[in-house]
Amino acid sequence: MIAVTDLVKQYGSLTAVDRVTLDVQPGQIHGFLGPNGAGKTTTIRMIAGLLKPTAGRILVNGHDLATEPDRAKASLGFIPDRPFVYEKLTAGEFLRFHGGLYGLESAAVDERITEMLELFELTRWRDELVESFSHGMKQRLVMGSAFMHRPRAVLVDEPMVGLDPRGARLIKDVFRRMAERGVAILMSTHTLEVAQEMCDRVSIILKGRIIASGTVDEVRRMSGNSDEQLTAVFLKLTGGSGLQEIDEVL
Amino acid sequence: MGAEGVREVHGVGEVRPFPYLLLPSLWASRNRITRRERGDLTRAMLFGSIGLAVIGVIGWGAYWVTSQLEFYAELGDYLIRLGLSWLFLTFLSFLAFSSIVTSLSTFFLSDDLRLLLVAPIDRRRLFHARFARTLGQAGWMVVVFLTPVLAGIGIARSAPLVFYVAAVMAVVPFVMIPVALGSLITLGLVNVFPARRAREVLMLMGLVFATSLVLLLRFIQPERLLRVESMPEVTAFFSTLQSPITPLLPSFWAGETLFASLQGGWDPLHALALWTTALATVAIAAGLFEQWHFAGFSKSQEARKVRFARWPLIDWAVTRLPLGPVRRQLLVKDLKVFLRDVSQWSQLLLLLALVLVYLYNFRVLDLERIPGMGRVLKNLYAFLNLGMAGFVMATVAVRFVFPLVSSEGAAFWIIRTAPIKMRDFLWSKFWTGLVPVLLLSECLTIVGNEFLGVDPFLKRVAAVTIVFMTFALVGLATGLGARYPRFAADNATQVAGSYGGVAFMILAVLFVIVTIALVGWPSSVYLAQQLRVAPMSTSRAVMMNACFGAAAILSIATFWLGMRSGVQALEEMDRTPS
Repeated sequence: MIAVTDLVKQYGSLTAVDRVTLDVQPGQIHGFLGPNGAGKTTTIRMIAGLLKPTAGRILVNGHDLATEPDRAKASLGFIPDRPFVYEKLTAGEFLRFHGGLYGLESAAVDERITEMLELFELTRWRDELVESFSHGMKQRLVMGSAFMHRPRAVLVDEPMVGLDPRGARLIKDVFRRMAERGVAILMSTHTLEVAQEMCDRVSIILKGRIIASGTVDEVRRMSGNSDEQLTAVFLKLTGGSGLQEIDEVL
Repeated sequence: MGAEGVREVHGVGEVRPFPYLLLPSLWASRNRITRRERGDLTRAMLFGSIGLAVIGVIGWGAYWVTSQLEFYAELGDYLIRLGLSWLFLTFLSFLAFSSIVTSLSTFFLSDDLRLLLVAPIDRRRLFHARFARTLGQAGWMVVVFLTPVLAGIGIARSAPLVFYVAAVMAVVPFVMIPVALGSLITLGLVNVFPARRAREVLMLMGLVFATSLVLLLRFIQPERLLRVESMPEVTAFFSTLQSPITPLLPSFWAGETLFASLQGGWDPLHALALWTTALATVAIAAGLFEQWHFAGFSKSQEARKVRFARWPLIDWAVTRLPLGPVRRQLLVKDLKVFLRDVSQWSQLLLLLALVLVYLYNFRVLDLERIPGMGRVLKNLYAFLNLGMAGFVMATVAVRFVFPLVSSEGAAFWIIRTAPIKMRDFLWSKFWTGLVPVLLLSECLTIVGNEFLGVDPFLKRVAAVTIVFMTFALVGLATGLGARYPRFAADNATQVAGSYGGVAFMILAVLFVIVTIALVGWPSSVYLAQQLRVAPMSTSRAVMMNACFGAAAILSIATFWLGMRSGVQALEEMDRTPS
C-alpha cells in the first residue's frame, strides 16, 4: 500500500535520507524507529508530499506520488507531529473543510463529522473554537481529520506526543481497528513500548539509512538477543546507551 | 467507526472550485465577529472611525484639488491626467514590492500550506486560491486609498456613471499585474536561493526599493514647483514626469482609461491593454507555479543556516557594555532575534526611506522667498518637526517597542522560571527599545532643524525635548506592552494592533500634543521677546520655566508610571503561555 524505493533526500552536502526502501502492506502497522535526527520525519514528509525527494520512488495505493500526486494523496491520511489547525475555526468547521479538500460529498460530510467527533471523544467540543483546545484535543482532532476520507494508508509522525493515557489508549485502539480493516499504517515513534505493543513490523533508521527491518522478533534476533526488550535492542543497534558518557560528565 | 473503513477511493472525489480553499479565512473572520474578545468592539470602533475619517479627508482632498484645477481649463485637465498616471505609478511600485513580500508568505511559508499540500488539491487550484489571497493581502490598502481619491475626482467633475465602472474595470487588472509579477519573482527567488535565504534577498530588495524611492524623488525635484514665478520651469518639471517608458506601464494605462471616462468617453485600447496583460501574467504565473511551486516549497522547508546572520559583532559589543550577565544575555538574545527576523527589520528600511524623504523635504523648503515671513515660518516648522518626530516615534514605538514582551511568545516560560527579576527583564527590553528610537528621533529633529536653519535656542529646546519624549514614550510602550501582552500573536503587527497597542497610541498622541503645547508656548514667547529686543518680565520668565518644567515632569511621570505598571503586571501575571 505504501511502497518506497531507494528514497534519497540531500540538503547540500548532507544526505538526510539515504536510499530508504519500505513496504507497508494493507492491514499492517509498520513502526519507523530511530534516534533524533535520523531521518524519520524527513522520510515521512516526503511520503506525505511535503518534501521533494532528491531521488527515489514513492507509491501510495499503486499511484506514483511524483506523477499522480492527487490520486496518491487521496488514498493517504497524514498525522504530523506538530499539527496545524486553523485556530479560529470550530472543530466541526475544521473537519468539514478537511472533508471538502478530499472531495467528500456534502451530504455525507455531516454524518462523517459526527462519527469522527464521537470516535475521538470531541462531540461536545464540536462548536468550540480550536484555539481553546488543549494539545491532546488538537491532536485528536487532527487524527479525526486524517481518517475523515477513509484513507487506504495512514502516515503518523509521533502519535503519542501530548496525549493522556486515555487518549493514548484510544489512538492505539483506533489504529488497530483501522489495520484490521485493511489500512496500512506507517508510524514513526520514539516510544518503543508503543512500537513493541502495536507494530507488525519495524524499521530502524540511523543517519538516514535503514539498519534493521523486520518483525519485532526478527529485529531482536538481529541484535543478538531474542529475549531483550525493544528498547535494549534499539540502543544496541543505534550506538549504545551512552551511560558511560553520562557518568563521565556527571 | 464506519464499517466501510477502507471503502475504495475513486480518484479524488468531488472537485470543488478554488474559492473553497479560501473558506477557512472567511469562516475565521465570521467567528472573530461573532465571538468577540474583550476590547474587540472598542478597537473596531476606534480603528473604524479613524479609518473613515482618513478616507473622508483623502476624498475631500481629491475633491478640493480637482475643483481648483477646473479653473485652469486645459492645463487643469492635463494636470489631472498626469496626476492619475503618477498616482497609479506610485501604487504600482508599492504593489510590486508588497506582493513579493506577501507572496513569500502565502505561497511558501504559511502554516496552513502543510495541511493543503498533503491533500489531493490540483496545483492550479491551489495557485488560484493563494493568488486570490495574495491579491487581497497586497492590494487592499491600495484599493482603500484609491476609492476615496477616485470618488473625490468623480464628484468634483460630476463624472458620468461610466467613470465609476471604468474605475472598477481599471483598478482590478491594475492590481493583478504587479501581484502576479511579484509572485513570479518570489517563485524564482525561492527556487534559486537555497532554503529560506530568499528572505534575506527580499531584505536586499527592500533596501533597493527604499533607495530607489528616495532617488526618484530627488530626480524629479518637486520643489521646483514652489518657484511658480518661472513658468518654463513648471513645464520642464512636467516633461520630466513623462519619461519614454511611462506609456508602457500599467499605471499609465489605468490613468488614461480613467481620464477618458472622466471626460465621458471610453478608451478601449488602454483598458484592453490592462486586461490582456493582467490575464496573461496570471496565466503565465499559474503555469510556472504548477511547474515549480512544489520544488520551491520543499526548499523553504529546509532549515536555514545562520551563516549570514551570526552577528558576532553583537556578542563582541555587548560584552563590552557595563551590564550584568543576565541583562547582557537578554540583550544579545533580543538583538539577534530581531536582526534574524526579516519581517521585523525590513520594515525599518521602509521607515528609513520615509525619514530620508521627510528630511529631504525640509532641505528643499525655500521659506526665505516669502518676504518677511521666513523667520516666523522656520520656527513654526521647527515645532511641526518636533511634533512629527513625536508621532513618528509613537508609531515606531507601537510597532517595535510595544511588542517586545509579547515577542517572547511561548518561550516566556524560560524567563518566568529563571532566577530573573521581572524588573531586570523589563528594563532590558526598555534599553533595547530606547537606543534605536532615541537615535532616530534625535536625528530627525536635529537634522530637520539644521536644514530649516531655525533659531539656535529652538534647536536646543527641540533636542532636549526629544530626549525626554523618547524616554517617556519608550517607557510607556514597554510598560503597556508588558501589561497587555499577546504571547499567542503570530507577528508584531498583530500585537501592535491589539487592545493595549491602541491604548498606547491614544496615550502617546495625547502626550505628544500636550508636550508640544507646553514647550511651544514658552519658546514662542522667548522668540517674540527677542524680536522686540526688550527685557522679559519676571512673571513671564517664571511662567516659561514652569511650562518647561511641567513638560519635563510629564515626560518623567509617563515614563515612570508606564514602566512601574509593566513591572507590576509581570510580577502579578498568573499564567504563562506554553
